[in-house]
Amino acid sequence: MELSRRTLLGGFAAVAGGTLVGCSSGMDTGSTAKKNTTTELTMWCWPGGLGKSVIDDTIAHFPDPKIKYSEIGGDFKQKLVTTFNGGTGIPDITGIKGEDIASLLPQASRFVDLKSVGADSVLGDYLEWKVNQATTLDGKVIGLPIDVGPTGLFYREDIFAAAGLPSDPAKVADQLKTWDDYFAAGVQLKAKNPKALLVWDATDLYDMVVGQGTERYISKDNKFIGDQDHIRKAWDTSVKAMTMKIDGKTPSGSPDWNAGLDQGTIPTHIGAAWVALDIKSAVKTSAGKWRLAPTPSGPANFGGSFLAITKNAADPQKAFDVIKYMLSADNEAKAFADAQIFPSAPAAYDKPELKAADKFFGGQVPIDVFGPAAKAIPVAYQSPYDDSVAAPFHDELKTVQTGSKTSDAAWASAVSKAKAIAKRQGVQ
Amino acid sequence: MTGTATVPAATTAPLTGKGQRPGRRIWSYWRFYLALSPFYVLFAVFGLYPMLSTIVLAFQRWDGLSARRFTGLGNFEFLVQDPTFWTALENTIVLFFMSTVPTLVIALLLAVMLQSAVRFTNVYRIAYFIPNVTSLVAMAIFFSSIFSTNFGLVNAALRSLGIPQQDWLGQPWGIKIAISTMIVWQWVGYNTLIYLAGLQAIPKEQYEAAKVDGAGPVRTLFSITLPQLRPVILFTVVISTIGGLQTFTEPQVMVGNSGGTGQSGMTVVLLFYRTAFLDNDYGYAAAIALSIFLLVLLFTAINWRIFRGRSDDR
Amino acid sequence: MTRYKWRGIALHAVLVLALLVFMFPFVWTIIMASNTTADIYRFPPKFTFGGHFGDNVRQVLDNVAFFQSMANTATVAISTTLLVLFFDSLAAFTFAKFRFPGRNALFVILLATMLLPAQLSAVPQFQTMALLGWVGSLKALIIPGAANAFGIFWMRQYFQNSIHDELVEAATLDGCGFFGTYWHVALPSARPALAFLGIFTFVGSWNDYMWPLIVLTNPNHLTLQVALSTLNRSHGVDYSMVMTGALMAMVPLVIVFGIFARQFIKGATEGAVRG
Repeated sequence: MELSRRTLLGGFAAVAGGTLVGCSSGMDTGSTAKKNTTTELTMWCWPGGLGKSVIDDTIAHFPDPKIKYSEIGGDFKQKLVTTFNGGTGIPDITGIKGEDIASLLPQASRFVDLKSVGADSVLGDYLEWKVNQATTLDGKVIGLPIDVGPTGLFYREDIFAAAGLPSDPAKVADQLKTWDDYFAAGVQLKAKNPKALLVWDATDLYDMVVGQGTERYISKDNKFIGDQDHIRKAWDTSVKAMTMKIDGKTPSGSPDWNAGLDQGTIPTHIGAAWVALDIKSAVKTSAGKWRLAPTPSGPANFGGSFLAITKNAADPQKAFDVIKYMLSADNEAKAFADAQIFPSAPAAYDKPELKAADKFFGGQVPIDVFGPAAKAIPVAYQSPYDDSVAAPFHDELKTVQTGSKTSDAAWASAVSKAKAIAKRQGVQ
Repeated sequence: MTGTATVPAATTAPLTGKGQRPGRRIWSYWRFYLALSPFYVLFAVFGLYPMLSTIVLAFQRWDGLSARRFTGLGNFEFLVQDPTFWTALENTIVLFFMSTVPTLVIALLLAVMLQSAVRFTNVYRIAYFIPNVTSLVAMAIFFSSIFSTNFGLVNAALRSLGIPQQDWLGQPWGIKIAISTMIVWQWVGYNTLIYLAGLQAIPKEQYEAAKVDGAGPVRTLFSITLPQLRPVILFTVVISTIGGLQTFTEPQVMVGNSGGTGQSGMTVVLLFYRTAFLDNDYGYAAAIALSIFLLVLLFTAINWRIFRGRSDDR
Repeated sequence: MTRYKWRGIALHAVLVLALLVFMFPFVWTIIMASNTTADIYRFPPKFTFGGHFGDNVRQVLDNVAFFQSMANTATVAISTTLLVLFFDSLAAFTFAKFRFPGRNALFVILLATMLLPAQLSAVPQFQTMALLGWVGSLKALIIPGAANAFGIFWMRQYFQNSIHDELVEAATLDGCGFFGTYWHVALPSARPALAFLGIFTFVGSWNDYMWPLIVLTNPNHLTLQVALSTLNRSHGVDYSMVMTGALMAMVPLVIVFGIFARQFIKGATEGAVRG
C-alpha cells in the first residue's frame, strides 16, 4: 500500500487523458433486421406460458421447419430487449407478457404486423379488449392473445361458514357485491376469528380497484391523469382496508402468503383465473374447501399474454400459421386443462375442458365465474409508460400500510413522484 | 508521472535480465510489455472503452431500441430531481455504514483473539472464511427465509421470548437490518484473515516491551495494535467501500427489483440496473453510473484522509 | 496458571461461538432442504433433519436445468481462474522483479483502475459484446475478467517479499530466459499466493450475478446463480425445493475451498498487505 493521494490522482489523469479513443455509439439499432435461418423456427416463452400438450402437439403438427421451443426464466422482457440489442439469436416467435405489451408497442417496427400475414380473419375470434392491448394507435396488431386474466374472488368456504358468513357461492355473490360489503364481511370475520384477515394485502387490492376502471394513469392523448378521482378512489379503497384493520399485509406469491392460505389466516384472495394454479400448488390440507365468486364491484384483468412474430422471422407467414394453430379455441381449451391458462377466445368457454367441475373448488365450475367476467372487463387505455408512472403509487401506499406516513402525505408524494416520471417520459 | 509512484522494491534493486545499458532501445524490453499486455488490452476494451461510452451515453437519451438523441444535461437535471435516486443514495450509504462498521469491528476483535489463541487456529480461520465462499444468491435466499414473517427463524425466536413478531422484509428498517446482517455474516471472515495477517507482521518485541511497562490488553490494543495495523485497516476499509457502495445481489434477491417497502432496499446499483435493463432508459442509467463512480471516489478520498492523513504530513 | 487457563477457555468459548454463528446457515439450509415445505412453515420450527432431500432434489432438477447451469458455471469459473492466475502472476512478476521504461506509470494506472466500478459500465459493455457477437455466449463472462488489477497488485506484493533477487539472477545465469525464470522459479514458489488468488477469483466468478443476468440470453447458457434466482422467483414457490437448490449451488464452492483451504490460509497470511 505504498500509495499516496498524489500518485493515485496522477494515475487517474493517465487513465483519463492517456486514451483519446473516439467513442462512437458503435452498434446499429437494428432497424434492418437480419433474417433468421429457414431451417429452424425458434419460439420463446416463459415457464408455464403455454400448455405443455399444446406445445408438443404443435411441434408434431409442423415438422418442417422444425420448431425449436425455449423456455426463458427470469425477467422475460429484459431478456427479449437485450437479445434484440445483441442482434443475434432473436427468436422467430416470442411470447410477450400482458404487463409488458404496452411498453413494447412503441417498438412495433421490431415485430411483424399480424394483419399483413392474414390475421384479419381470426382477430374476431378473440376478446376485443384483449386484441386492443396489442394494437398500436395506427392500427398495427403485433400479438395474438394467448390468454386473459379475468379476476374472481377465491375464498375458504369452511372459514366463512364458521364465522357465520354466507358460504355458498351464490349467496356470497349476492352479499359481497361491492368493496364495502367485502370489507364489512372482513370486520365480521375478524370479530369471530381474530387470526383471519380477509384482505390478504391491501396494496395488492389497490391494483384490482385501478383495473376495474376505464381509465388508468395516462390518457389516450398522452396526459397524466394519475392525480384524478378514479385513482384516488382506488387509493382510498385500499387505505380503508388498512384502517379497518382487516389487512393481512401478505403480498401474493410470497412464502407467507403460501403458508397463510393453507393455515386459514388468509381466507380470501382476489386474483386472475391463473392464480388458481398458485393456490393449488401452495395448499395441501385445504383442497376442496375453496370456492369462487365474482369480484366485488366488478371484474378486472390481470396479465394474459401474447404471441408475436419478430421481423427477424425467416418466414413470417409460416410463423403466423403456427401461432394461429396454437391459439385456436380447441388448443386454448387444452392449455386450460394443462395449466389453467385461461382462454382468450370465447369459443373455448363452451369446450368440455372448461365445463368440467373442479374438485378443488368443491365441484364448482370455474368458467361460470370467470367466463362472464372475461366478457365484462372494462376497456382502459394503457400507455407504454403506465407501469413506470404507477410505481410510486405502489411504493407510497406501502408506507401507509406500515404506518410510516399518513394517507394524504403519501398520496401527495406519490403524485409528485409520478408527475416527475411522466414528465421524463414526455407525458404532459 | 515517473517518480511519483514509490516503489517499495527499490530496496532490492530489480533486475534487468542482462546488465543495464543507458542507451537500450525500448523494443528490447518487448518481453516485459508482452507480459503486461493482457491486462491493459482487456482493460482498454472492456473497462476503459465502456467507461468512456458511459460518459457519452449520460448526455443522451436512448431506449435501447430506437436511435440515440443528444439531450445535454437533461439526464443530470432529472437525476437531481428524482426522489428515487436520493432515496437510493441514502439507502446505499446507510447500508454501507450498517454493514461495514460491524463487519470491521467484529473482524478486528476476532483477529486479535485468534492471534492469542494457540490451538485450532487453522480450523477457526477456515470456518470463518467459509461464508465468503458460498453462493451469494443462495445465501440471499436463505436470509430472506429466516427473516420471513410467519415462518422465519428470527420471528420464531422472538415469539418464544414473548416478543411480538416483526414484519422484517415488509418494514423499511427491517429490510436494511436483513440485508446488512447478510453482508456482515459474509465478510467478517475475510476481514479477519486480512487483519490476522497484518497482526502477524507486528514485531513481537513491541508487545513484550508493553508488557514490561505493565500495559493491559486494552491499552496494548490501542497503543500498539491499532496504530500498527493502520495500513491494513485502510486496505479493508477501501475494499469494503468499493464493495459496499455497489451492493446489488443481496437486495435484488431479497426484496426484488422494486427495492421493497418504501424502496428501502433500493441501492444505487439496483436503481442503475432497473433503469437500464428493465425500464430501458439507458441514458439516465449512465448518469446514475457516473454518480456512483463519483461516490466511490469521494468515499475513497475520505478514507484516505482519515487513515493516511497523519503519515502523509510527516 | 489457572488465570491463564480460564482466559484460554473464555477465549475459545467466544471463538467457538463465532464459529457456530458462521456455520449455522449451512446447517439450517440442510435442515430446510431435507424437510417438506409444510415442515418449514411450522411453528415452533423443526430443528431436525428430515427424509425429503431426495424428493426435493428431484423437484429442483425438474424445474431448472441444474446440471447444465452447473457445467456452464464451472466452465466459466475454471477458465477465468486459470487465465487470471497466469496473466496476473506473469504481470506481477514482471512488475516486481524487472525495471523497464514506463514501469511506474503503468503500475499507477493499474492501481487506479481498481477504483472503477466495473458493473456500472454494463450498458456499453453489453454493446461491445453485441459487436463481437458474444451476447449469450459464455465467452462474454470469461474474457473480460481474464486479468485483473487486484490480482496483479496482490501477486506483486508476494513476489517482492518472497522471491529473492539472487534466485532470479541465478536462474538467468542458468540460461533461463524471462519466461523460463517465471515458469521455473517464480510460479512454483508462489503457490500459497496463487491459491489465495485462485480461490478469490473462482468464488467471484462463481457468484457473478448481474452481468450474467444481463448478457446470457440463451436459455441453454444460464449460470447457476441466474438459474437459482429463477427458481426463487417463480410463482407459488416451493420453499424446501428452493433451499435444496441453494444448498446444491453452495456445495461445489465449499468443496473447492476445502481442497485448497490450507494453502489459501497460508497465502492470505503471507502475502497480506504490509504497510
